[in-house]
Amino acid sequence: MKWFRFSIVILAATVIGASAVTDVISITEQRIKPNLLLMLVVYFAINCTSYDAIICSFAIGLAADLTGSLIGPYFISYGIIGTALTHVRQFVLLKKTGQQAFAIFITGLLIHLVTVIVLQFKTSGSGAPTFGIAAAASMYSAILWFLLKIPVETLGKWLGVGVYRFGTRLSESRP
Amino acid sequence: MARTKFKPSKLTLFIGLFLTGCIFLLLPQNVTSKVNFAFIDIFDYFLNMGSSAQRPAQNASGTYVSRQEYLRLQTAYANLEAQYAEQKKQIEKLSKIRLTEPDPSTGLVIAKVVNRKEHQLIISRGSKDGLHSGQYVLGDNSVIGLIEQVSDEISSVRLITSSACKLPIKISAPEINAYFNGTIQGDDNNGARIMNIPKKYSIKTGNAVYASEKAGFLASMRIIGQISKCALGKKNAIVWDLEVKPVYDFESITDVAVVVLKMPEFK
Repeated sequence: MKWFRFSIVILAATVIGASAVTDVISITEQRIKPNLLLMLVVYFAINCTSYDAIICSFAIGLAADLTGSLIGPYFISYGIIGTALTHVRQFVLLKKTGQQAFAIFITGLLIHLVTVIVLQFKTSGSGAPTFGIAAAASMYSAILWFLLKIPVETLGKWLGVGVYRFGTRLSESRP
Repeated sequence: MARTKFKPSKLTLFIGLFLTGCIFLLLPQNVTSKVNFAFIDIFDYFLNMGSSAQRPAQNASGTYVSRQEYLRLQTAYANLEAQYAEQKKQIEKLSKIRLTEPDPSTGLVIAKVVNRKEHQLIISRGSKDGLHSGQYVLGDNSVIGLIEQVSDEISSVRLITSSACKLPIKISAPEINAYFNGTIQGDDNNGARIMNIPKKYSIKTGNAVYASEKAGFLASMRIIGQISKCALGKKNAIVWDLEVKPVYDFESITDVAVVVLKMPEFK
């Protein structure tokens, strides 16, 4: 994994996600936009070694926090759910695009749930979007994954995300 | 001698990062928000790329004005009407005493919208300009929210549509020439709600909702929006369940004004 390139990609995804550019593809009056970081966390959790995936998940969570008003809630939620997904990968390969899209949707919901729980410890007010908006954004991201899978995989190769076989990496399967 | 590379186990790594997250969460918000503000400061240009803040304003020509301009004028008119009613009342009561109401325009700090998120705006003014949390923010000449967090040079605004934003209001009832007091709270959608207003108050859809005067924060009433739905409470039929539609257009707001009132000095 090339961490310098990874940080550039995450920073770019954060800025694009928070910028007004994505308003162009936002839908409904609620301005529901796809969550690029959500797609990336699922991609890295599925394709990286579990050690790298843990770091990636927490790093993406930190990036998600940068555009909010608090540091910590997304850091924890992305970290926990991303790490959990690396364990799920050991039982379900998640190689098909449809499976990955479904994983994006479920991961989005779980991240929102954990974020809301974590925010209860910090503030009484709402800092996270409502469940409906979070679900819609996760669904939108999952649908968009069918279009973005190939570019993200190309980007992944540039980042040094290796090829795995049957859910485990060569480096991991060796004794 | 070979150097040993420190590489914690997966469990140690996870626990370490999780604890780091907990520490971030426990840090005071005014400390961590500096990181957020720094990020917005650095990527200001990219974050605003393609937004209405960068688009040139289009002036309507001829006799007609655009809908946006019409709404702006309508809002200004509603504010003037409220100020007029208030001043008329004061003149009636205190006919011989000079009005002490300060000119609202003297305490306004104009700021650019640097970034916008759901129910939140980041603006280009901070504590250096006299801003502090709790101050009222005007956009399109109506109250759009309150200052939430402040750094030296930028601040965040919690919009009226957020459930974290609560403020005292007055609902106008022009038929009986009265105002009813209440508290507004955002519905985390595109509007806000007013709860626990007794049914005996004659309130109708379309009635204007104003932010109440607040010592040190707001000198005179300012419009927030209009009652968009007026129904009996689902849980309690003796109170109104009121929904409010703010007059401002979130997308078109590129500049805001923060009400910064100077407190009188007592000697």
